[in-house]
Amino acid sequence: MRLATCGCVALVGVQGHLVQVEVHIGGMPGFVLVGLPDTALAEARDRVRAAVLCSGEPWPQQRITVNLSPASIPKRGTHFDLPVAVAVLAADGRLPAGVIDGLVLLGELGLDGALRPVRGVLPAVLAAHDAGVRRVVVPAANAGEARLVPDMQVLGATSLAQVVALLRGELLTDCASTGAVDDRAAPVGAPPGPGVAAGCRAATPAACPSTGDGRAVPDLADVIGQGNARRAVEVAAAGHHHLLLTGPPGGGKTMLARRLPGLLPDLRRHEALEVTAIHSLAGILPEDRPLVTRPPFADPHHSASRAAIVGGGSRLVRPGAAACAHRGVLLLDEAPEFGPHVLDCLRQPLEHGEIVVDRAEFSARFPARFLLVLASNPCPCGHHGGSATVCECTPDAVRRYTRRLSGPVRDRVDVTVWVKAPSLVEMRAGTARSESSGDVAIRVAEARERQARRLAGTPWSVNGDVPGPTMRRHFAPQPGSMEPVERFLATGALSARGADRVLRVAWTLADLAGRDRPGRREVLEAHGLRAGLAA
Amino acid sequence: MIGQRERRTWAALASVVEPGTPGIRQAVAEHGPGTVLAALREGRWEGGTGSALRRRALSADGSRVLESTRRAGMRFSCPGDDDWPAGLETLDVVGPKDEIGGGPLGLWVGGAADLAELVERSVAVVGARAATAYGTQVAADLAAGLGDRGWTVVSGGAYGIDAAAHRGALAVGSPTVAVLACGADVAYPRGNAGLISRARVEGAVVAELPPGSHPTRMRFLARNRLIAALTRGTVVVEAAARSGALSTLRWAHHLGRQGMAVPGPVTSALSAGTHQALRGETALVTGVGDVLDLVGKLGIDAAPAPRGPGRPWDELPPARLAVLEALPARGLRTVEDVSRRSGVGESDVRVELVELELVGLAEAAPAGWRLGQRARAARSADRHAARAAAEAADGRSIGAVDGGAPPGGA
Repeated sequence: MRLATCGCVALVGVQGHLVQVEVHIGGMPGFVLVGLPDTALAEARDRVRAAVLCSGEPWPQQRITVNLSPASIPKRGTHFDLPVAVAVLAADGRLPAGVIDGLVLLGELGLDGALRPVRGVLPAVLAAHDAGVRRVVVPAANAGEARLVPDMQVLGATSLAQVVALLRGELLTDCASTGAVDDRAAPVGAPPGPGVAAGCRAATPAACPSTGDGRAVPDLADVIGQGNARRAVEVAAAGHHHLLLTGPPGGGKTMLARRLPGLLPDLRRHEALEVTAIHSLAGILPEDRPLVTRPPFADPHHSASRAAIVGGGSRLVRPGAAACAHRGVLLLDEAPEFGPHVLDCLRQPLEHGEIVVDRAEFSARFPARFLLVLASNPCPCGHHGGSATVCECTPDAVRRYTRRLSGPVRDRVDVTVWVKAPSLVEMRAGTARSESSGDVAIRVAEARERQARRLAGTPWSVNGDVPGPTMRRHFAPQPGSMEPVERFLATGALSARGADRVLRVAWTLADLAGRDRPGRREVLEAHGLRAGLAA
Repeated sequence: MIGQRERRTWAALASVVEPGTPGIRQAVAEHGPGTVLAALREGRWEGGTGSALRRRALSADGSRVLESTRRAGMRFSCPGDDDWPAGLETLDVVGPKDEIGGGPLGLWVGGAADLAELVERSVAVVGARAATAYGTQVAADLAAGLGDRGWTVVSGGAYGIDAAAHRGALAVGSPTVAVLACGADVAYPRGNAGLISRARVEGAVVAELPPGSHPTRMRFLARNRLIAALTRGTVVVEAAARSGALSTLRWAHHLGRQGMAVPGPVTSALSAGTHQALRGETALVTGVGDVLDLVGKLGIDAAPAPRGPGRPWDELPPARLAVLEALPARGLRTVEDVSRRSGVGESDVRVELVELELVGLAEAAPAGWRLGQRARAARSADRHAARAAAEAADGRSIGAVDGGAPPGGA
C-alpha cells in the first residue's frame, strides 16, 4: 500500500480539531509537507527521518507527500512528528494493514526515535474523543493526562520503536508513565523486542486520577492576629468576591493571599478537567499528578507582560497566568506596579470569565474564571496611613499611586481590607488561637453549597458573580435591613455600585452564618469590610 | 353648602372675569355674586357699557358653564364650598400687586381628592423651565422628601423644575397639585400632558379658568398668586434673573407665606434670580429638613429634634459604648485593637463600628477607625465645660486648700 492515513489533533487555544495525516509514497526521492504547517512542524521532516532510521526501520527512497487535512486549520507544534512517522511507515507497508485506521497519535520525536512529552495532550485527547476516536497513542509521560478522558483506550510509549511494536502486535501492553524515565535513559535506537516490554507497566486504560494535594498550600494557622483580614479572606473565598489587600510592606498581604486557595473547595470533575487542559497547554502539569483537583494559584510578577497574563505566542498560543488561575486564585502582588495596559486586559476575563487571544488566522479561547486578589502598598514607599514609619511620599504621589488601580478592575473588587503588621502584643496573644485553613474551609464549603442551592437555575453559582441589578431584584435582604445603606447613600458616603457590593457581601456573610437571608447585622458588617469603599 | 342657583351665578361670574382682576372679589363680598354679575351686564363696572367684559357677561350662562365642566370630568368649586382652600382667603385681605389681586371667584378642579385637604399641608416647588440637571435633581429630591413626610407638592405643571417637582412627588406615591394658567382640561405644555394627567389621578389639577381656556401672560402671573396662596411656603429651586418663578416667590412674601430658595453655583445664570432673592427676606434651604423647619407647625411638623442636651453617646447599648470608648480621637485603631481594648469580640466590633459610623460617632480610614466628627465635637465641648467648672471650683476652694489638702491632693 502506498497510501496511509492516521489522526492527530491541531490545537487552537484549548479547542482541538481532529486532523487527518495522509501520506503518499511514490516518485523521485523527496519529502513534501503540505496543509498549513508552521515552522516547528516543517522541521518535522528531518526529525521524523532520523527517528525512523534510528528505530531500525528503513526510510522509503521515494517521494513522500504528507498532507495535513483539513488544510484550512493552522497546525502548530511538534506533536505531529509521531503521526507523520507512523503514517510513513504504514504507507511503506511496514505496519499491518488497517492497524492505524481511526487511531490518533500525538508526540514529538527525538532524532534517536525517543518519544517526547508534548503540551496540550488532555485538550487534544478530549477533542479526539468528541470526534469519535476511541484509541490514542501518546508519549508515556503524557499517558496519565490522556487517561483522564473516560471511555478511551490510551497507549503510552517512550519511543517510536515501541509504538511500531505495539501496532505490529509484538507488544501487548502499552508503557505507563512510571517506566518512562528508565526508557529514556535506555540506549537510543534500541531495536524493538521483548526487552522493552520489561520497562513497561500494564495500566488499566481508565486509570484513577490522582487526588492528592501535591504542592503544599500554606496554612492559615501560620497567620498571627489579623482577625479582620482573615475574615475578609474567608468572605472572599466563600462568596468568590475579588479582594484588595492594602497595607504597609511586611504586613502579611502576600502571606494571606497565598493561603486563599487552601480555603476553596475541591474542584468538581468538569472543573478539574478544564483546569488540567489549560495547565497541560501551559506545560505546567506535574507528571505525577495529571489531574488538577485543587484550585490553582498564579502570582505573576509585576514586570509581567500583557502576553504573560492573558496568553500569547504566535505558534501554539500559550495560556497566560490569568487562564492558568482558572477556577483558582490570581494574585497580583504590588498591583499598582503592573503596567496599566496589563491590568486593563483583565477586564475581559473578569466580565466574561474567558480570554480570547486574537491572531490573524484564528482566535484562541481560554476559560479564565479566577478569584482576583490585589495586594497593594498604600503609596510608593509603603508607609502612608500606617503608624510605625513616616511616609516619605508627596500627597500627589500617594494619590497617583492609588489611582493606578482605579477603573474597571477595581470596580470588580467587593472586599477591601487593610493589613497591618501585627504588634508584639498581637503576636503574643494570637499564637494560641489561630484557626487553621481546614476549619475555615469547612465553613466556606457550606456557604458555597448554600449559594449553589439558592442560585440553582441561574447562570451563577456564587454571590460574587451575581450582577447588582439581579441581586437587588431577586435577592432582597430582610425588610428594613438595608436602612444603614440607604443612609450612607443619602449622605454620599456610598455610591450606588458600592451599595450593590454591600448587598452581595452581606449575602455571603449570611451564607457563612447559616442564615436564610442577610439582616441588619450582615449589612453592617459587609459595609465594615469596606465592601463599598472602592467606588 | 351652596345652593345650585348661587353656584351657577359664581360659575358665570368666574367664567367672565379675567383671573386676578383687582377689586371684583371685594365687590362680590359686599354685594353678593348676583348683584355683581348684574352690574357687569348693565355696564356699571369699569369700561362702561361698551366693554368686552360687558359683552362676555351678557352671554355668560352659569348652567352651561357647569354643564361643560361636568362633561370635561371636572367640578367647579367656589367660595363657601367645603373643599374651598382656606389659604385663598388671604388674597382678599392683602392688596393687589402689579395690577393683579384678589382671590379667585371659583376654581375648576380635576381629580377626585378634596382640594382643601390636599393643600392643608403643602409646599410649592417652582422654578425655571430651562432647568439644569442640578436643578431638576434637587427639585425632584425635595418633592420626594416632602411627599415622603406627608406633604403635598404644588407646582405649575411647566417644563423643568415644575415637572421635576411633580415627578418627584409622584415617584414616592404622594399626591401633587398642578395649578394651570389655562383651563384645567387643557394640557399645557403639551409635552407634560402625561404628567398632568397623572397629577389629576393621584392629586388634583386646578385652574381659575373655565375648561378650554388658553394661557396668556397675565394668566400666568395670576396663576402664580394662586400657587403662593394655596401653600404654606414657596421654594424656588432655579430661577434666572427675570423668571416667573420669582413672581410666585414675591407673592408668597406678599401673602405672608414662607419664601425659600435653593442656592446654585454662583456662575449659573439660572441661579441668578434665586441668589438675588436670597439677599432679601427669602430663606436659604438645602433640603427637605430645612423646608419643614420653616413651614412646619411648631411641635407638630418639627424636624427630628436635636438629641437634647445630653451627649450623643447617651443611651447607646453597652457593647457599642465600649467600642466607642476604645476609639482614638487622633490616629487610627484597627478592628483587632478596638476589640482588645473594648473586650468586645471582633465580629461584634465590626458591626458596632458601622452602627457608630451611621450616627457620625465613628469614622473609617483605609488603615483603621477613629472617633467621628460628632463624638470629637461633643468630647471637646465636655472638656471645655470641665475646664470651666474646674477653674470656677479652684476660685472657690482657695480657702479650703489653706485649711488642709484634700485627700489624694498634691
